[in-house]
Amino acid sequence: MMKEHAITLEINGVNHQINVASNQTLLELLRNQLLMPETKYGCGTGECGACTVLIDGDKAINACLTLAATLNGRSITTVAGLENNGELHPVQQAFIDEAAIQCGFCTPGMVMKSVSLLAANSNPTEQEIREGLEGNICRCTGYAKIVNAVQVASKNMVQYAGGEGGS
Amino acid sequence: MSSRVLTEFDLLFPHSLSEAWKILNQHGDRVTTIAGGTDTLVAMKAGYNTPYAMSLSRLPDLDYLTFDPEEGLRVGARATIAQLLDSSVVKECYPALWQAAKVFATPQLKNVATVLGNMLRASPAGDCSCAIYALGGKVLLKSESGQRRVNVDDFWTGYSQTARQPNELAVELQLSPPATNRLSAFKRLTRVNEDLAKLNIAVSLTMDGDTCTDLRLVMGCVGPTLLRLHKTEDQLRGKVLDKHALQAAIATVAEEITPIDDKRSTGAYRRKVAGVYLKRTIEQALECSEQ
Repeated sequence: MMKEHAITLEINGVNHQINVASNQTLLELLRNQLLMPETKYGCGTGECGACTVLIDGDKAINACLTLAATLNGRSITTVAGLENNGELHPVQQAFIDEAAIQCGFCTPGMVMKSVSLLAANSNPTEQEIREGLEGNICRCTGYAKIVNAVQVASKNMVQYAGGEGGS
Repeated sequence: MSSRVLTEFDLLFPHSLSEAWKILNQHGDRVTTIAGGTDTLVAMKAGYNTPYAMSLSRLPDLDYLTFDPEEGLRVGARATIAQLLDSSVVKECYPALWQAAKVFATPQLKNVATVLGNMLRASPAGDCSCAIYALGGKVLLKSESGQRRVNVDDFWTGYSQTARQPNELAVELQLSPPATNRLSAFKRLTRVNEDLAKLNIAVSLTMDGDTCTDLRLVMGCVGPTLLRLHKTEDQLRGKVLDKHALQAAIATVAEEITPIDDKRSTGAYRRKVAGVYLKRTIEQALECSEQ
């Protein structure tokens, strides 16, 4: 019987005190223990990006390869944490407006990855977007509309932030 | 075997190096040390069993990347690939390593995977390890009874094997100080960046004008460990690295590698392209110096 670890983990701005098993991944914690299914299980081996969440602000990581017990005192954001008082995040809105969603399974991970990419580079070229999205796989869209959505979001976010962080 | 389920293990969190050594002394090779854990967790999902795992996540002060022109680049055990990429010093002074970090796996994995973890995995396909081998340096291993520095040339001792003893913790990689007349580059042959390479190459060239006075050529994915191409180095040492010299070296490369057939490529294909890719990597290093 494996030891349990008591951790405090902030998720989408809310502090959780949880007991996790040694071999429990963050993905397993989110979906099965906390019943937060918005973060998806795709491959389980860090290759598809469906499980992408942000840690400590805007760093993208794979939840399937993160041991929950190592996250004591940390802060993570899932796609459910992006909305602001009922208003969708510009990246979420752009994905909808640009029809960058088909089956929707890659979308939470794609959105989180896009948020991370734009935090590091607020005005990316198409090449930079495509490189930044490596590690997130989409079987449906062929990526073109996803790339468009990120470009549109980057422009909208400059306006969103009142013109700060533009080119 | 399922990518949903990890094998069971006891997870230990040392808060100091001495706690870490106690754990290593007590459990020896029954404990797997985890820094980023990106490779280890995948192995666990494929059935890798370890009674104990020791996470370095609560050890303070090991996530540094510091540069001194006399001492070189010091990379702490928990420093990530992303930290290499964010460093202008690495980009300017250790281009081969920066180029390897640029194409490493995926951005999510770069944020978590560690440089030292890549070295300790000791895969013959390790991209950052390939660049590190060409650049040269030392790994600092510490145990309860003392410490030692192992030259990178002596670090990889066999397939997935390193010079680290079970009671030792690898705490730092120190890359040799850069020099203005030293150029380096890294290249990998692959389908997409996410994949392991079919072939990877790193070169470090010491130049005197157009003449290459010394060089280190490292090729991965063509043997049980990363390989120094000693014969090819001997052939090119002291020469002007023009098209003719590099063309003549292609055949030598094929002689000193031992590629196999695997999921990613065949031995015959690797042997066919290895020399050409080496030529291109050397040209890439020389081109960078002209910018």
